[in-house]
Amino acid sequence: MIILGAVVVLIAIAAYVIFLRQPVTEATQLGLDLSGGVSVTMEGYRTDGTPVTREEMETAAGVISQRVDRLGVTEPEIQIQGEDQIVVNIPGITDAEQAVEVIGRTAQLGFYPVLAADFQQAVPEGEVYQVREEIQNRLENDPAYEEGETKILFEVSESRTGEGMDVIGYVLPEQPALTGAGLERAFLDRDEAGRLRVGMELNNEGAREFGDLTQQIVSESLARGTPGQLAIVLDEEVVSAPTVNEPIYGGQVVIENTGLPGGLPQDEARELEVVLNTGALPINMEVLQVSTIGPTLGADSLRAGLTAALVGFGLVLLFLLFIYRALGVVADLALLIYAFLLWGLIVAIPITVTLPGIAGIVLAIGVAADANIVIFERIREEVRRGKTTRTAIQIGYQKGFRAILDGNITTLIAAFILFALSSGQVRGFAVLLTLGVLLSMFTAVAVTRALLGVISSRGIQLSPAAMGVRKDAIEAPPKTPGPAGVR
Amino acid sequence: MLDRIFSRVDFVGNWRVWFALSGVMLALGIGALAVNGLNFGIDFEGGAKFTAQGAGGASVQEVREALPQEYQGSAIIQQLGGENYEIRTPPIDTQEQTQIQQALQRELGAEVSVTTISPTFGLQIRDEALQAVAAALLIIVAFISFRFEFAFAIAALAALTHDILITLGVYALVGREFNLVTVVALLTVLGYSLYDTVIIFDRIRENAPALGYNRRRFDAMINTSIRQVVRRSLYTSMSTLIPITALLIFGEATLSDFAFALLVGIVAGTYSSIFIASPVLSLFKAWRDRRAKAAKASA
Repeated sequence: MIILGAVVVLIAIAAYVIFLRQPVTEATQLGLDLSGGVSVTMEGYRTDGTPVTREEMETAAGVISQRVDRLGVTEPEIQIQGEDQIVVNIPGITDAEQAVEVIGRTAQLGFYPVLAADFQQAVPEGEVYQVREEIQNRLENDPAYEEGETKILFEVSESRTGEGMDVIGYVLPEQPALTGAGLERAFLDRDEAGRLRVGMELNNEGAREFGDLTQQIVSESLARGTPGQLAIVLDEEVVSAPTVNEPIYGGQVVIENTGLPGGLPQDEARELEVVLNTGALPINMEVLQVSTIGPTLGADSLRAGLTAALVGFGLVLLFLLFIYRALGVVADLALLIYAFLLWGLIVAIPITVTLPGIAGIVLAIGVAADANIVIFERIREEVRRGKTTRTAIQIGYQKGFRAILDGNITTLIAAFILFALSSGQVRGFAVLLTLGVLLSMFTAVAVTRALLGVISSRGIQLSPAAMGVRKDAIEAPPKTPGPAGVR
Repeated sequence: MLDRIFSRVDFVGNWRVWFALSGVMLALGIGALAVNGLNFGIDFEGGAKFTAQGAGGASVQEVREALPQEYQGSAIIQQLGGENYEIRTPPIDTQEQTQIQQALQRELGAEVSVTTISPTFGLQIRDEALQAVAAALLIIVAFISFRFEFAFAIAALAALTHDILITLGVYALVGREFNLVTVVALLTVLGYSLYDTVIIFDRIRENAPALGYNRRRFDAMINTSIRQVVRRSLYTSMSTLIPITALLIFGEATLSDFAFALLVGIVAGTYSSIFIASPVLSLFKAWRDRRAKAAKASA
């Protein structure tokens, strides 16, 4: 009776969390594979190969979180996975490229004086790589280039002539004169002609160092007699290299592209602003996996998964009814309670339901039915041996339980290993399978037993036929105890 | 009726027949593995998988032509049923991904979903999967040894190895994509097949007489135990196969992949619990007994 009381309370709680706490359509949290969105898995690494620390991962996750927030999307989810992976789930968007550009960028900012430069204009897109190689070779022979002391970085941008790309190579000192540490904030801005640009405001120290740097560039250019250039470098790519005619103090710097009528492309400007403002990642990020799931595909998958789960569930109910008759009714009732409580748990915890999760639920339905079959077969076996229904039920639960326990532990072992050794979506499967197996131990064993108890306490005796045992299969109670069950 | 059939079957004595039946399947499967190999999905090799949803009446050829020139040769295109297509390409970067995605959207008017996996991540997933299977087998042997005895663990291990090999063999035979979902299903099959085996072993444990070992008596007892639980074995397999078949029929790509592996694995698992695990238990016990006697005789 206590168990049935507990069941009623649990059902009430489940009904509350599913139907009353919020509209039922919003009750279940759906994973990206069912609702649509972009999921990116990245691995943090250091260029020198040493392992990344937990702290660095947490800082990186924090920076990424800020960047995603600045993209203005709803409810992003950022998780550290294992030792060196970060998973970013962004529901509702389908532009993976922008997301990857923004969140995966190391955003190491540096300002350098340009020591030498070389370029080629209007290069067809397919030949950019080849042209870079050629420029690299030419610059390595330039007197300004010194192995170990300087490096060669490139700027590749759409050609001003409108055809192909402009490729410019710069010889720069190995170390930047000023890094992102000198940056106060970045903002979007337009110049007098309405061209989009990104403004940067430097902090006090940054402004002073930037002034010194421009001063140095100007004096060197006067000595050389050619105009001096400053390179603004982000992640080892030159984003802009304005000519410096006089020292700039005051800490205002802009990144612009006066070659294009609109200035910087909108996307690019926005990305720059976001990554500059949120600061650099302490480590480099390599993209491991990107998934973009369209909303239609997600909805279709959900519908297919639900249909499969419901049809499977219905057929299992019929199957139990067909084989076990009256016992089947009890088992079906327990399975229905099980399904409802499982849903309640999923909503209450809450567990995000994914496709593998649905598979876990379906499998758990099978496991729950299994537990009843094990017990009921045992009961029928005892009935066939001539035991009374009451004794048979008692023995059935007693002996059946041990087998169910051992059997379920093996399933839990498999689920546990899956959880421990795998990542992402597979975990959803493992979690739901585990939850389902544990819950089934309660409903399929305790609840069915309590229900049968209620039936017999009402004085209703289940006949063997009501349990699906044919009369001729029942043995006369043995006079001499022979080997059990041998016929 | 079931009882009448099974009451005449000698599960232990006819082990040569049961092993031969499995042997033929295994030989076929291993042959296919050697010749065809497994059709690994992008999970293990890296690459990109595009799903074009609602590509109104386009043919596979038209889908291929919708791709940018440089991918037309290397892409593997498959119709998923209805107006949906799956396109697999070798590893590409985010930019190339966007390019293909946009081309498919533009040319076919379809909603395009995509997953890309880098080759290094693929290797990592493969290592994880292998570790998971190995760890599962080890822990299971330890668990069975603890709850039953070592001989039972050996028998269970033989049955599980059998199930894994049969499933791999079937995958090689039909050429279905072998991916992370398949490995998850395989691990689930391990747990499930073991459940089946454990139920039989549990009955053997219950029926085992307290007296010492005697091969004839032990084998007869195994036969009896199997007859007592075989009905349960079949019913539970059916009760699990019913929802799995529903997944296979109604589920989309991921779910039906999962269901297919489970279907093969559970059928193999039900067979191996009855026809492999128990005979192996008998044979192993007999072998150990002979060795113990020989040791005693020589002492």
